[in-house]
Amino acid sequence: MSHVSFQTEHFEAEVDFVVVGSGAGGAAAAVTLARGGQKVAIVEAGAWRDPEHYPQSTFGALRDLMDDFGAQVTLGGAFWPVVQARTVGGTTVVNSAICVRTPGDIFRQWEAEHGLRGLEAGVLAAQDVIERELAVEEVPESARGRSNVLAKHGADRLGWADSHYMKRYVKQCEGAGRCMQGCTGRRKQSVNLNYVPEVLERGGVVVSCAPVDRLVFEGTRAVGVKGRFVHPGTRKPGGEFVIRARKAVVVAASATHSPVLLMRSGLELPALGRFFRSHPGTGVFGVYDDPIDQNVGATQGWASVAFREQPGLKLETLAIPPELVASRLAGGGTVLMERLARYRHIAMWCHAVRAESHGTVKPGLFGSARPVIRYQLNRADMERFRVGMTLLAKQHFAAGARAIIPGIAGLPYELGPDQLRLIEEGPLDPKHYIAILSHLFGGCVMGTDPKTSVTDARGRVHGVEGLVVADASVIPTNLGVNPQHTIMGLAVVFAQALLEQHSGVRVGVAA
Amino acid sequence: MLWFVRSAIVALFPRVERDGVVIPGAADCGLDEFLKRFKAETTTLVWLGTVLGAFVFHFTPLLTIFVPLPAFLLPKGLLDRHAAGITTTSIYLLRQAVFLVKLPGGLCWGADPQVRKLIALPPLGTDPGTWRAAG
Repeated sequence: MSHVSFQTEHFEAEVDFVVVGSGAGGAAAAVTLARGGQKVAIVEAGAWRDPEHYPQSTFGALRDLMDDFGAQVTLGGAFWPVVQARTVGGTTVVNSAICVRTPGDIFRQWEAEHGLRGLEAGVLAAQDVIERELAVEEVPESARGRSNVLAKHGADRLGWADSHYMKRYVKQCEGAGRCMQGCTGRRKQSVNLNYVPEVLERGGVVVSCAPVDRLVFEGTRAVGVKGRFVHPGTRKPGGEFVIRARKAVVVAASATHSPVLLMRSGLELPALGRFFRSHPGTGVFGVYDDPIDQNVGATQGWASVAFREQPGLKLETLAIPPELVASRLAGGGTVLMERLARYRHIAMWCHAVRAESHGTVKPGLFGSARPVIRYQLNRADMERFRVGMTLLAKQHFAAGARAIIPGIAGLPYELGPDQLRLIEEGPLDPKHYIAILSHLFGGCVMGTDPKTSVTDARGRVHGVEGLVVADASVIPTNLGVNPQHTIMGLAVVFAQALLEQHSGVRVGVAA
Repeated sequence: MLWFVRSAIVALFPRVERDGVVIPGAADCGLDEFLKRFKAETTTLVWLGTVLGAFVFHFTPLLTIFVPLPAFLLPKGLLDRHAAGITTTSIYLLRQAVFLVKLPGGLCWGADPQVRKLIALPPLGTDPGTWRAAG
């Protein structure tokens, strides 16, 4: 058993499989390979923090858990933040652990548009197992909090076809409302608490604080990775590491970092870094007469997929911490403080747009590892975006809000129920909105044609031996639902294919 | 440079009193200590963005209240009007730049125990700043 962290000396190792990244995809792939009897090394750019190491404040979370202090933004239109973690466990440490099975129509779309066959049964079987292992359950009544209950009430009053309390990878949630800072109560089953330690127990290696700089090739075969340790506190570079893979390298560094790593390693596939997609979203606050105390209860506890197909939206609750509300609400000076004085009376619900638009991911200036993301929503997506805000506003009013705070530049700070037209006819320029990209896809998309895709239906990179991509970057379309479960299901299927290829043994997650 | 950033944040998050209830401003929330920590522990790029945001905040009163003075020389009432105006300006790049200095202000203000008590939330513990060692 070994965990290798920041060190100033040179480090070398040889294993069967090197897995780059320890988030949903990397951990699921690594544990599947380890259960198949393979020696696995997980190489993670961030530090390994257990719940006792988790920060308390949002500043601490940005510093210790988020990629690039959460400062990554899109270029091209508006500067919208791209939210990802950089820690052992990846984004599963800081997300709301929302578990949604891959919708059946997605597999049909992948087959029709991208020629991807034979994924559905394997992915759904893997998701079955993952749900049992990660204790997936509905948000318990005691942890729902007022915001989530009100959201359900509002949606039910509007007669929406789907309105439900979420299922999440959270065991007996205590409703601390601190998903984004890491769950110190160990209720959230982020993969740093289960799959990553299991890889160690099965004889694997975890190398943390180790951003991979390049993949190592021998001819057209990937044979390992190399990079330089980075101190998790000072960010100063340490010694070099070289980890060789006898059988294959699995890249699961995220939808932004995986394509950049492949490009920086010299791969030149025409589709590499293209077809980057997301679920951009924003929140609408409701203002209520009684205190809501949105940070009491599950951070995200209610959702609806009633509008997933048309117009293409997912609606959810989301309680961001007061530190972020303070900068998120419009205004400054006395005006802002008077708005913050009503903090207990506001609740934020949000949408995620199933956007058609796609962009690109490339290495940064002078080929640096910092991804540059060019992404801008087209008119149809902005119309969806606006419809989603209108739906959230209606939901708030149905739940009893006396006003809503849309956060649209150029519109009044608060709107009443008779002013929804202002949102419906609101601007279509993304610069008027405060939004984030939370669910990311593409950059190394799956497909059958090497001109339009980077990997095949098992994540194997076209034209390269021993190189598999197993994260959100392979997903060729938007899902319209939270992607963690799909990422994990795909990663397991890809790892099972590797096991079959290299040892003839088929081992599922539940070996 | 800290005073420059500090004065912008204090203007954006001033102490106010309404109906006998005091809402602490950023200056009441350990801002000086926080900014030292923020500068030392954040990335260079984020700190440069914060300074840029403060720069934009201080040198744009002409655009918001039509006064040709930097914000740090404005009397309280005009400064407050400028703080409201620059955060809602129709010029996107200015609004975004000021957001960069508003963000650390919010991070400091929202984590303060007095503020959290006011909004019925328990105080936060300290950030351990630790990680699992090798082994």
